[in-house]
Amino acid sequence: MSEPLQFDMGKFAAVLPADLRYCRNHMWCRPGTAGTHPFGFTSYAIRLMQDVYFLDWSVSPGAVVALKQQIGNIETSKAVSDLFTPIAGIVAEFNAEVLRDPSAINVDGYGRGWLFELTGTLDGTMDVQGYLDFLTANWDQTQRIIKGQMGD
Amino acid sequence: MSRNRLTIVLSQAPGKHPAKRSLEESLAANLIMEPGLDVSIVPNLYDLGPDHTGRMYLEGISGDLLVLTWHFPRAAFWLLDRIGVRGHEGLTQIKPPQTDDDEEEGESAAPKQGIGSAGELPDRHIYCLDLRDFNTPDPYLAEVRRIALESRERTEGKLAANANSIAPLLQIGVQTVPVGTNGHGSLMKAFTPELLLTPPDRRWYPVIDYSRCTNCLECLDFCLFGVYGVDSMERILVETQDSCKKGCPACSRVCPEQAIMFPEYKTAAIAGAPVGAISGLKIDLTRLFGGEVKDAMSQAVEERDRELVADGRTAVGMSVGLPKRQGEKQAGPRDDLDKLMDDLDALEL
Ligand code: SF4
Ligand code: SF4
Repeated sequence: MSEPLQFDMGKFAAVLPADLRYCRNHMWCRPGTAGTHPFGFTSYAIRLMQDVYFLDWSVSPGAVVALKQQIGNIETSKAVSDLFTPIAGIVAEFNAEVLRDPSAINVDGYGRGWLFELTGTLDGTMDVQGYLDFLTANWDQTQRIIKGQMGD
Repeated sequence: MSRNRLTIVLSQAPGKHPAKRSLEESLAANLIMEPGLDVSIVPNLYDLGPDHTGRMYLEGISGDLLVLTWHFPRAAFWLLDRIGVRGHEGLTQIKPPQTDDDEEEGESAAPKQGIGSAGELPDRHIYCLDLRDFNTPDPYLAEVRRIALESRERTEGKLAANANSIAPLLQIGVQTVPVGTNGHGSLMKAFTPELLLTPPDRRWYPVIDYSRCTNCLECLDFCLFGVYGVDSMERILVETQDSCKKGCPACSRVCPEQAIMFPEYKTAAIAGAPVGAISGLKIDLTRLFGGEVKDAMSQAVEERDRELVADGRTAVGMSVGLPKRQGEKQAGPRDDLDKLMDDLDALEL
C-alpha cells in the first residue's frame, strides 16, 4: 500500500491515508464492496475543530439524502458547525459509539471515529492527491475565512 | 428605601430544559433566603415584548439591578438599555471556569470608542451574569453577595457625601419574596408572579452594543426589512424589532465594528461573547464543511436574499446597501477582537 500524504497546517501535519477517497466537505470515505461506505472526518477537519464535545444527527438510518444536505451538527472545543452529506444516497448507519462518546473521533479519526455509512456512488469524490491539491488551493482562503469569523 | 436595595432579576431559559430549570429553581430558593435583596423571576428577557408585565416591572426598577440570564452579559446589558432599563455597566468578577487566565492583560488597552448609550445615564449600576458559566448555584450566590455589598457601599457613600440632595423616588417594583421581608410589599401587588411569568412568544431581533457602534449606518442601508431607523439625534436604532427575520443574522456580518448582536444565535461572537474573553470563543466552520467557501459579506447577502424571496420579493444580491468601506479601513487602535485574531494565529492553523 502506498505511503500516506501530508498537508502542513502550520506546525501540524494532517496525515492523509492513500487508500481512502476524499470529499470536499473534509470527510474521508473507505469504499465498500457492496456500495455502502463508511465516512469520517479527515485529520485536517479534526485539527480545525479540535476536541469534539457533542455530535448530533437530524436524520435517521434509512433516510434518502441529497448531496450537501444538512444532516446534523457538531460542537467542539474550538468550533461549531452544521454537518452536510458528502454524497447523495441512503443513510445506512450512524456510529453509535461516537454518539455516546465522541472522543474516538479525536483519538482514531480514520478508524473507530468513523461517523456514518452511506449507500451511494462515490461520484465527485477525490483521491488523496486530488484532496491534497484541493487543500493547498484553498488554504489561504480558509485561513482568511476563519479569521473573518471574528465578525461572525 | 428600596431604591437603595439591590434588585435581582432572574431571566428564565426559554423552553423547558430540565437542567436549566433546576439551576434557576435552586438559585431562586437560595436568593430568597438572602437578607436585603429584592428577587423576581421573569421569562426569557429577550422575548419580553413591550406589553409584557415582566418588562414593565423591569422598567419600574430604579436602583442597582443584577440580572441573571442565559445570555452573554454584553448582550443582556444592551438589550436592557434598548428598552430603557439603563445604567452604568456593573463589573462582575465571576469567571467562566474554562477561561484561560492569562487573557486579562489586554484590559488596559483603550477599548474601541463607540457612541455610547443615548443621553445621560441614570446614577445606578446594572450587572449581568451568564447562567451558562456554572451549573451549580454557589458561584452565583457568592457573586450576588459581593455585588450586594458593593452596591450598598456605593449607595451609602453617596448618601453620606450628599445627604440632603436626593429626592425620594417612587419604586414601583415587585418581588417574589414573601411580604414582610421589607417595608413596601403593597406596591408590589400589581406584579403578581403569575403575571410576571406569563409565557411570551419567542422573538428575534438585533441588539446594538453602543460601546462599539460608531453610527456608520451601514446596517440601516443593508437591512431591507425596515428593522433599523434613527432616533431624534440621528443615532442608529433597532426601531422595529419584530420586523426582523427569524434566524437571520445577516446585518451582524456587515457591521464593521461587530456591534450587532443576536443574543440567541449559535455562534458566540454574534451572540455577544465578551470581547475580551476570547479564548472560549467558537468559530463556525459550517461554510467549510458545507464545501462552500464564502466571506462574511457574501454570506450576509445570501441570508438577506433568502429572506427577501421568502417574503415574495426579489433577491437583490450585492446590488443594494453594501458598505463602500473596501480599502478605506484604517488600522484603528488594537482591540480585543484583534487579539482574537492573534489567538487564532497562535493556533497555527
Ligand atoms: S453597522 Fe454597526 S457600527 Fe454601523 S451603525 Fe450599524 S451597528 Fe453601528
Ligand atoms: S437580521 Fe436580517 S432582517 Fe434582521 S435586521 Fe438584520 S438584515 Fe434586517
